[in-house]
Amino acid sequence: MKNWFKKTVPFVMFAAAWALILAAFLLGERVPKQISLALFTLGGLLLGFGAVGIALSRIHVSPELLKEYERGEKDERNVAIREKAAMSSWYWTLYMLWAVFMAIQIFVGGLWGVAISVVIVLHCAFYMVNIHRWNKKL
Amino acid sequence: MTNRIAELRKARKISQVELADGVDVTRQTIISLESGRYNASLLLAHKIARYFGLTIEEVFLFEEETT
Repeated sequence: MKNWFKKTVPFVMFAAAWALILAAFLLGERVPKQISLALFTLGGLLLGFGAVGIALSRIHVSPELLKEYERGEKDERNVAIREKAAMSSWYWTLYMLWAVFMAIQIFVGGLWGVAISVVIVLHCAFYMVNIHRWNKKL
Repeated sequence: MTNRIAELRKARKISQVELADGVDVTRQTIISLESGRYNASLLLAHKIARYFGLTIEEVFLFEEETT
């Protein structure tokens, strides 16, 4: 059942994507621009995910290669590398957000400064939520 | 932390790939362990020790840090 679901989803996404894009074309100027844009965006996203899913399902991998791939996925050194990379990325994203925040405060100001502050707060809040979550788990 | 993985492996004529297969990790992990760049988790240390039929202390050598 799960396997059947996994195989079907990319095709459903692909079909839904074309339906959305077609709907956007057919509705044309009868709907507000935002709706049209949303239909195109969602259609594009689904088209991408669907196409990639279908392409991946067509690739036949030998059992040995599949085993090697799975081993690489759960290999503890690879997991440690991914965790360290994610942590570094978090810090770098924070530094970049601070730089953008400072630049906006100096040169632009206004609502953009508020928007970037919200992003920084969310960035840190997600981190703290995940710290709490993992603190409970481990 | 140092270890005797390379020494034990060579003494028993086991390749890195065979050891990696035996303990279910990638060859790159074995290379990193042997070169001392990576320290194994307790679970992997246990698997490696069991693979060689030894205890963890016989494979992994814990050196107290001197201040």
